[in-house]
Amino acid sequence: MEIDTVKERAGPREFSAADEMPLEYREAATRMIEFHANSEIMGAYLERPFIREAPSIDRKLAYSAKVQDEIGHGQLLYRAAESLGVKTREEMLDDLANGKGKFLNCFHYPMKSWPETAMIAFFVDGAAMRRQATLRRTSWEPYAHAMDKVCFEEGFHVKHGESILAELMTGSKKEQEMTQEVFEMWWPRIIQFFGPTDDKSTHHDFSADVGLKTQSNDDLRNLFLREYIPKAEKYGLEIPDEPRIRQRDDGTYEVEEGDLDWDEFFTIAKNEYEPGLGQINGRKEAQKAVQWVRDTLEWENVPEGTAKPQAAD
Amino acid sequence: MIWEVFRQEEQGDYHTHCGNVHAPDREMAKQFAAIQHARRKPTNSIWVVPKDEIGELDADENSFGGVTDKSYRWAPTYKSDLDHAAEVIDSEGQQAEAEKQRGDA
Ligand SMILES: [Fe+2]
Ligand SMILES: [Fe+2]
Repeated sequence: MEIDTVKERAGPREFSAADEMPLEYREAATRMIEFHANSEIMGAYLERPFIREAPSIDRKLAYSAKVQDEIGHGQLLYRAAESLGVKTREEMLDDLANGKGKFLNCFHYPMKSWPETAMIAFFVDGAAMRRQATLRRTSWEPYAHAMDKVCFEEGFHVKHGESILAELMTGSKKEQEMTQEVFEMWWPRIIQFFGPTDDKSTHHDFSADVGLKTQSNDDLRNLFLREYIPKAEKYGLEIPDEPRIRQRDDGTYEVEEGDLDWDEFFTIAKNEYEPGLGQINGRKEAQKAVQWVRDTLEWENVPEGTAKPQAAD
Repeated sequence: MIWEVFRQEEQGDYHTHCGNVHAPDREMAKQFAAIQHARRKPTNSIWVVPKDEIGELDADENSFGGVTDKSYRWAPTYKSDLDHAAEVIDSEGQQAEAEKQRGDA
């Protein structure tokens, strides 16, 4: 299919493996879905320690269920990415381990205390869900199908996160203070989740033209702020003074870009943010530690020319 | 040879199982499937799969999930009086539906 035809036909769930898609489309879709898949995995690794550190058995059960869900989302998405024929699942997992694979800014930051789990599970999952809901209308059908299942499950993550937040914000004064403190730390990162404000050049970018993305970063950030500022306030959180956020007459928001740390953001985007290297290396170690399992399972990866394992082996 | 047939109504929908056909080869299976399963219902695409190629695992040999009460992993368990985002309400509705099916089983 010619790229012009792709742009003409672009619409929700329009293209699937049955279509001959041009390389440019397949590469853009792979980049986007691989990033998404990596983010699911890295998010799961960030939250995993809190299965052990959960303050109650209910939280422990919920956290282990959530982490299991996120790993599952990663698997679904690697399948959707693989279906484009640009990169294999192995290549994507290896790139993630060797520090080449890119993933969401929020999952580069170390997470140390229990109140931070509410920042991830309520606000980051809430932000992710806003975006994912729009991706059910992406033009790559396997991606849209993966989003159906992800969105089905995500409601639990957000509501469980909210439940943690509610518990902390109605708890002791100390708990409330700690929660406000981590909120102030995470708030700018969460706003950066949606990337820099659209400028003229990125507004009509390729992914939008071919229907991979259905909403701009600006729209998504707006949708998020409109929905989640009142929720944060309802639970007694105070929105930090910076970044300055102004509400326009039409109800949309203007975020003062200069108040956000874009150097840090772009260092993160290159996988070079020092405090975040622990996340990347931790996941690499985990991959190494279970290499023996992979070796016994992945017969497809036996190098050409060596005998395939037989039933009698 | 038996071929299982999966029909997709519209572009972007899931291919769902709708029956099977008896045919000597893939080409004939596609034609039979089109006639038997896509003649009267709107159809965008049809898959035919040799029955022998399908692996099956049933509830007698395996204990699947979704039968025990794991309320901690369902959104409706977490009560709040917040006005949730549309997609959260959507997800919660779908989960409530799935949980109801577990009750029916
Ligand atoms: Fe997820
Ligand atoms: Fe999630």
